[in-house]
Amino acid sequence: MIKQISTLALASLAFVALTGCNEQKAPEVKTYKYTTVEVYEKSCIKCHGVHGQGNPAKHTPALNDRTAGEMAEDLFDVKNGGTNQSSGTEHDIMEHNMQKLVEKGYDYDINSMAEYLSNLSKKK
Amino acid sequence: MNKNELIEEILQEVDKHPEIMSRRDAMKYLTMSPLAASVIAGATVGATTVSASEAKGKIVIVGGGLAGMSTAARLTNTLSNPDITVIEPNPLSTSYQPGQTLVGGGIWAKSEVVYNRDDFVPNGTTLIKGAVTAFDPDNNKVVVDGKKEISYDFLIVATGLMLNFKAIKGLTGEITSCNPDNAEAKKTVGKDGVHSIYFQDGSEATWAGIEELIAKAKKWKKGEPKLQAVFTHPNTPIKCGGAPKKIMYLTHAQLEKAGCRDAVELTFYPNGGKMFGVPEYHEAIVNQFKTRGFKWNYKHNLIAIDKEAKMATFNHHWTEKGAWDEDLEEYGVELKSKEVQVKYDFIHVTPPMKAPDVVAHSKVGSSKGWVPVKKETLQHVKYKNVFSLGDVVAVPMGKTGGSARKQYKVVVNNVISAMEGNQKAIETTNAKYAGYTVCPLITSIGTVMLAEFNWTKKPTPMVPLDPTQERWIWWLLKVYLLKPMTQMGMLSGRA
Repeated sequence: MIKQISTLALASLAFVALTGCNEQKAPEVKTYKYTTVEVYEKSCIKCHGVHGQGNPAKHTPALNDRTAGEMAEDLFDVKNGGTNQSSGTEHDIMEHNMQKLVEKGYDYDINSMAEYLSNLSKKK
Repeated sequence: MNKNELIEEILQEVDKHPEIMSRRDAMKYLTMSPLAASVIAGATVGATTVSASEAKGKIVIVGGGLAGMSTAARLTNTLSNPDITVIEPNPLSTSYQPGQTLVGGGIWAKSEVVYNRDDFVPNGTTLIKGAVTAFDPDNNKVVVDGKKEISYDFLIVATGLMLNFKAIKGLTGEITSCNPDNAEAKKTVGKDGVHSIYFQDGSEATWAGIEELIAKAKKWKKGEPKLQAVFTHPNTPIKCGGAPKKIMYLTHAQLEKAGCRDAVELTFYPNGGKMFGVPEYHEAIVNQFKTRGFKWNYKHNLIAIDKEAKMATFNHHWTEKGAWDEDLEEYGVELKSKEVQVKYDFIHVTPPMKAPDVVAHSKVGSSKGWVPVKKETLQHVKYKNVFSLGDVVAVPMGKTGGSARKQYKVVVNNVISAMEGNQKAIETTNAKYAGYTVCPLITSIGTVMLAEFNWTKKPTPMVPLDPTQERWIWWLLKVYLLKPMTQMGMLSGRA
């Protein structure tokens, strides 16, 4: 038994070492039809405006009032229907729209889009 | 408990059930699972600290729960000249919160999850037994109990979050998970069939509530309307996103064990439209619900409880096809909602959760309350000498002990780099927080589905076993290993 236990402990340590590397694994590569800027200027801009200021007439929110990190979280929710198991999101309408836009090729990398939008706010 | 005793205890448990798994297989699974392995290694093998640093500076940690106290411990282990102050008002702040599910489910006694803050303060760390009432990051100061100013060079915000029961009409209190100062919530929660495992006393009361339900169920006769057990999930981020389901699984298991499951209908009412963000886990959970005869109604957010009438009111919301949208070049959708009333005999409330007002309304907070940080570095977006972790930080899927366990090492590294004036290391070379979280989803007494996930939202292949299967070995992990890992490994800054 003692021997088995030490084998187990050793194997465990080896696995810890291995998974330590796994955590740094690069994210899977995904290619998009349009660049982030193209997606914004061809599509998002129609409802959210040149400066990401939103359009009250269309009930579309501003996108230029958040930090890149906060924006990334919202975009994540919009594209994935929420990140908190069963909490849902406050983006029901945009979740639907986003699905349609992805079908039309207007998909984007979340971090890149969040970064772009946060700079949009600096330009305004 | 040392490593050998832990492993031996698990293996003895395995021996009692040869029909489920042989000792040999159990050992195989334990060694194949990096999580199990890291638990065993972390809880028992000892220090895995980074090399000592000569960096200097006064560090103030606001909040001495699991996140804050573990950070204090690891900084103490790492710095040659630590100057650390932890500000924490709650004498039970280091209690083992994940165990509250097991207390609520009648598996553990409350005493098994209660741990005193003062037993976990690292040597040399100054503890201030008070609450921060103001943040002044422009002047590097916080105020304690409205009067005492504490200055800092580096600030770590780890206050945790608030359980906002009073946001539900008919319920009371805005409390934390394990602060005994919870009388306001207990006026309405923890009795009369209204329960919540989300706070320590509430979890004990939940088990009493389940026992009451069982007693009623035993008197139930065929043909009578079934007793209604209702389980909610709110529209805010919550800590331990799986707990609203876990307590449902355990209620089911206890009813079955008592031989009266037929008398009760168990229904899940989540605000969201699915069981889990990761599709593979979502499907696995739906199948587990079907197998157990659970019902579920998506997009129902609890807004009121009438304790007299034993009636819960939900805001049910959905979308319908709307007008043609020229910009979208598709039909849009419209939001619809109505109030739905549901009778209950037993209701488990997962309260809406929020950042403490003192954080949310300060300059370190944000419009949504949570502390905004760069999610990979956990450094505040505006104040480079401020870091945040645990339940109060604004990162997706971050509100579990498993996340805190990944976060606190990142924070410690980055705080030390900041003390050394090396912002570049924080942004480039230091290890990043990858959003890992883990949710051992208890699916019955004896099985757990170990849901491990990160921001890529794919099941992270940590184990060469199908992670969507409920396995008894994970149950052993949850019941026997995660607590020592947390209380001995993490709170000492090691695992």
